This record gives sequence, structure tokens and C-alpha cells, in this order.
Amino acid sequence: MLRRDFVRLIAASPFAARFQTSSPLPRLRAVSAYQSAPAPGMPGPYPGRVVAVRSDTCVDTSTGAANDDVVREMMARGMRSLTGARTTRDAWRRFFTPSDIVGLKVNCGGYPHCVSAYEIVAEIVRQLTALGIPETQIYVYERFQNQMDEVNYAPHLPPGVQIVAAERANRNVDNAGYDPAVYLEADLFGEDDTRSNMMRLVSQRLTKIINIPNMKDHGATGVTGCLKNIAYGSFSNVARTHQNGKSHTYSIVGALASIEPLRSRTVLQIMDGLRGVWHGGPFARTTKYVFYPKQIMFGTDPVAIDRLLLDIIEKERRAHGAISIWDRSPASLKVDDGRARDADPNVNIIIREPGHVEFAATLGLGTYDRARIKVQNLTV
Amino acid sequence: MKSLLLLFCVYSAGGSEVTATLAAAGITRICAEADLASRESLPVPGITARANLASPTRIPWIVANGWRVIRNPKSKYVYELPAGKAALAAAEAHAYGADAALKIDPSDAGALGAMLTFLEGLPALDLPIVADLAVVDDGSAVTGEVMNLLARRNLLYQIVPAPSPRFRITVAIGSPQYPREEAADPSAFALKIRRQLTDDQRTVRVFGSETVICRLTGDERQLRLHLINYGGRDIEGLRIRLRGSYASGAAHVLGVGRQELQDHVVASGSTEFSVPRLTTYAVVDLARTAP
Repeated sequence: MLRRDFVRLIAASPFAARFQTSSPLPRLRAVSAYQSAPAPGMPGPYPGRVVAVRSDTCVDTSTGAANDDVVREMMARGMRSLTGARTTRDAWRRFFTPSDIVGLKVNCGGYPHCVSAYEIVAEIVRQLTALGIPETQIYVYERFQNQMDEVNYAPHLPPGVQIVAAERANRNVDNAGYDPAVYLEADLFGEDDTRSNMMRLVSQRLTKIINIPNMKDHGATGVTGCLKNIAYGSFSNVARTHQNGKSHTYSIVGALASIEPLRSRTVLQIMDGLRGVWHGGPFARTTKYVFYPKQIMFGTDPVAIDRLLLDIIEKERRAHGAISIWDRSPASLKVDDGRARDADPNVNIIIREPGHVEFAATLGLGTYDRARIKVQNLTV
Repeated sequence: MKSLLLLFCVYSAGGSEVTATLAAAGITRICAEADLASRESLPVPGITARANLASPTRIPWIVANGWRVIRNPKSKYVYELPAGKAALAAAEAHAYGADAALKIDPSDAGALGAMLTFLEGLPALDLPIVADLAVVDDGSAVTGEVMNLLARRNLLYQIVPAPSPRFRITVAIGSPQYPREEAADPSAFALKIRRQLTDDQRTVRVFGSETVICRLTGDERQLRLHLINYGGRDIEGLRIRLRGSYASGAAHVLGVGRQELQDHVVASGSTEFSVPRLTTYAVVDLARTAP
């Protein structure tokens, strides 16, 4: 078979050097035969627009348990406000039709205290099936099966919903779940395996994707929100981008998110901020750094939502006297010393790259300028 | 043609009972204990954790002996193997054509017997090695470690007595281009050579694993690619890129048998395909086609 690829070199924008002064951006080569949709899902029909729905009663902070009824009302209000639809059903209909095969990109890395909430995932499935989408055409997905097993969405969802992962665990031996024809190639640290391949589920099966990140701090990217969840959660071999104190996530996160068909098919962003992690992310093995933003954000623009997330995590860190997510001081850096990082919120193990959000904007994924982001705040 | 398999023999302490176990597993080429002492001992192949480098993002350290056999192809070797390593050592010795004795744990008799049966069943094919660069071997430890790291990175090389016009790159440690001080960091040194060669010009590349080492033989008509998996876990969907145009073929995989290659693509002067499942060892035979 002869294949004609669309090969794209992802260039750095002129202002990229403002943030990453330690080294030039790596040369990135995106390979995909998929063309962009006329109106790609990111930034979608609502660029620069975010609906934030808050509720004091959405989660019991003494137990961490969410209130299902309140979450459902938050979801309904958020979707109606985002779309301007009169009914909740109409709001979902703006994005999906019964023939769609829909992926729900959840985040399981923060198990047990901060993962994509069962209540939110279940409500999304309820709304999709109400539109006539069969359960078997709904896929809840992550990269690693062992994480999915830990979180265990199945008891919260109707039978028939597919719960799938590309790899059994993060061991770099299961490649069959990835598409060999769609990848980002980059030699970052002299690693032998220079490719990160898109999940076959994304490139070959799904027609639409709903991204359900959490509000979390991240040791390599500063925060992990919409962009990081959809990018690093849909491609293989991404842990290679950050090591020995250095992170190439500044450009790689946005570059991955912009590769087709992921960019076109990711049509809705629902950021789960019932719970959050202000340090030590993306993990939350203990509640030490868990906090409760008590909100859900809705939009189609991942950059705009992540721009708000930067401020949320930064504000929470400041409240605890922790160093900024923008801190690049060598004095704060203890390379690869996870124990020190977990013990002390003033320790970085890698120089973080929160600038990845702004870089993604330069790739056309959304609006970064805070002054141009319109936030609609609602309370339930 | 000469069968590489004939270079094997196996030893396991324990007397006639163990010999019977080996025989039951189909292992009949038994070494005499006295034969082992005169052989050069090889480290146990596999991967090992490195101190202070425990992060899951780290590339595992591979103990592999192919470079030693390339350096001294006429030597006789012995592997002294703990349980679980016999099949991997046999694969390594076979791929590089080493005259090797395998001193094994009796519990490995079955696995080794299966490997020997697999090797015996491979289509006979004796082709010259394929190399992208040359190394002038001065016999030093430094040059040895550079060859180790080149092999580890699947940078195919051939040892030459002096710089050869056949190769765009000839590495001679101590030359102005390749100072001995630089070679003191063999990993960085191998990376420098990789950059000089460029990834596009490499005859073989591996995607989807950092624990597979290739041995490539071929001529103007065909290639035989040996894939040795040092990682200890089966790999699904290993992606291979070969420079040049090759028709789709099959992989002969230990424990699996003949597997059709998947997602075969010829484009931009190279051929790519996936091996559906790689256990410890596989051999892929490919016929060259018009570009």
C-alpha cells in the first residue's frame, strides 16, 4: 500500500521564547492523513466562552462525596447556558446526533481522590442515550486499563457502555491500540522511540469526543486541564517529554491536541472542578493537596478553560504559601525527587511549563487572552 | 549453508536426571563441563534497573552481548544463566552467530527446548550483515562500550581495520572527529553518531519499545531482520521502519509461529510494518521491491 500523508511541521510562534528561555523548541513533525473538519471541535462554536457553574452543596468536603442531584442540575444549567438552548435535550442536540460514536475522555490519574466524577460521566451518558445514541456507541476511555479498573465506572453506567483503554498499564509494550499512521515525531532527549501515536479508538472509531478533565496541578505542565487531558490521554509514549528536570510539554501538549482527527472530533469540554489538586498532581493518592473548587466549567474552547484553570491553581497554591506554578528557580528544583515534592509544595521536580496553554492558542486551539475570555458564572 | 544452530550446546548441572530432562525437552547437544572453562563468559542478557534512575520515564538499561560477538566472532562463549534467561541467551547467540555454550537452570529446559525447535524451523538464509557505519576497533574498553551503545541504539555498524570508503561514517576513537575524551560518555557519544548519520538515513528503526535490539542481514534481493526482545514482556504492535522498498512478508515469532505483518506501508523511500506480537525473539524475512 502506498500512503500519502499530510505531514505538518509545527513551528514555534515568535513569542514562544518569552517563556521557554532555557532551550529552543524541538522540531515537531505531525503525520496524519485526516483532514480538518470545516469547523474543528477545538475551539469549536464558542471560542473564548466559558460557563462556570458553582454549587456549595455539590460535594461534601468532609467525605469527598458528590451530590448526584446537584451535579445533574449543574450539568443541565451549564449546557443550556453554553448553547442558549431552551431545554437540556436541545443543548446536547447541538453537538450530537443518534448516529454518533462518542468518546468520553475521562481522567483516572488522580485516583482515588480526584478523577472524572462518576456523577458527571453518568449524567453525560444519560443525556447521550436520551438523544438516541445507543449505549454501545458510547466509549469511556483512558490510556491505561489498570487505572480504569481502579476507578471502575461500570457500576455507575448502564450496561453496554464501552469502557476501554489502549494499554494494560504504563509499560510501553502495548502498541496495538495505537494508529501507526497518525503520530507526532520528535527527538526530544535523544530517545530511540521518537513517535507518539494516536489511539486507534480516536482515529478509527469515534466521531465525537467529550473531554472531561479535572482541575489539577501538574509537575511538568503546571496544570493539567483540557489540553493536557485530551492530548496526553490520546497518544502513546508521552512520558518521554519530561525528564531530568526538563519538560518539553510547552509545545508538545498543544501540538498533540492539534493533530487531526483529534482536534476536529473533540467537540465539548466539561471540566470537573468538584474536587481539585493544588500540588503533587496529577496524582492524588492522599487528600493532602486536595481542595474543593465546587464547580463545573463548560465550553468548546480548551485554551480558554485552561487559562482560567491556571489562575485557580495558582490562587490555591498562593493560599497555602506554595511557590508559583510559573516558578523556574533552580533553588526550587529537586530533579526527579518525588518524595521531596510530595512532602513540600515548594519543591518542583521538573521546571513546569504552564505556558503550554498560551502556546496552544498560537496553534489555533483557542483564546488565551484573559480579557477576551467571556465567563458566565452561575450558581446552583 | 552453515546452520548457526550447530554452534549451540547446553550444560546443566545435576547428572543423568537433568540430562534426561534436557533430552525430554529436545535438547540433545550437551556440553561437557570441561568445555566450559575455556570459553569467554558473557553477562546474563536482559534489562536491569539503574540506581538513582527509578522514574518510569527512564529508558531501561539493557545488558546485551551482540557487540562482544561482533568484536570477536571466532571466540567461544559461555552464558551462565539463572532461571528464566535461557531462551533469551539462545536468541542472542543465534542472531549473532555466536559459538556459545548455555549453562542453564534445569527449570529452563522446556523454554530452551521450545527455542531450539523454533530456531531449527526457521527458513535457512545466510546473508551478509548490513551496516550503516564502520567502527575501527582498537580493542580498548572505551571502544567496546561505544560499540555496546551503538548496538543498543540500533545503529548498525561493521568493524573495519581502517576507514573505508564504503561507509559515510567511520568511527575511530582517538581521531580528531571522535576524541577519546568524548567517548568517555558512550551514551552521548552514540547519540552524536546517530545525529551524524541522521534518523532518516538509518537502515532500521524501531518504534514502540526501548528494549528491542535488531540484527540485520541482507543483500540486494532480500533482508532478514532479527528482533531480540530483552524486556521480558511481550510487545504488541512493534513498529519497524526499514530504509528501502520491501514487499510485505511474515514474521516468525517464538511461541507464536508465522505472523503476517500488519499495516505495511511503502512511502518516501522506506518501508514500515508492525509485528503483531513479539515474544523474546522473531525473525522477519522481506524481499526487496522496486521503489
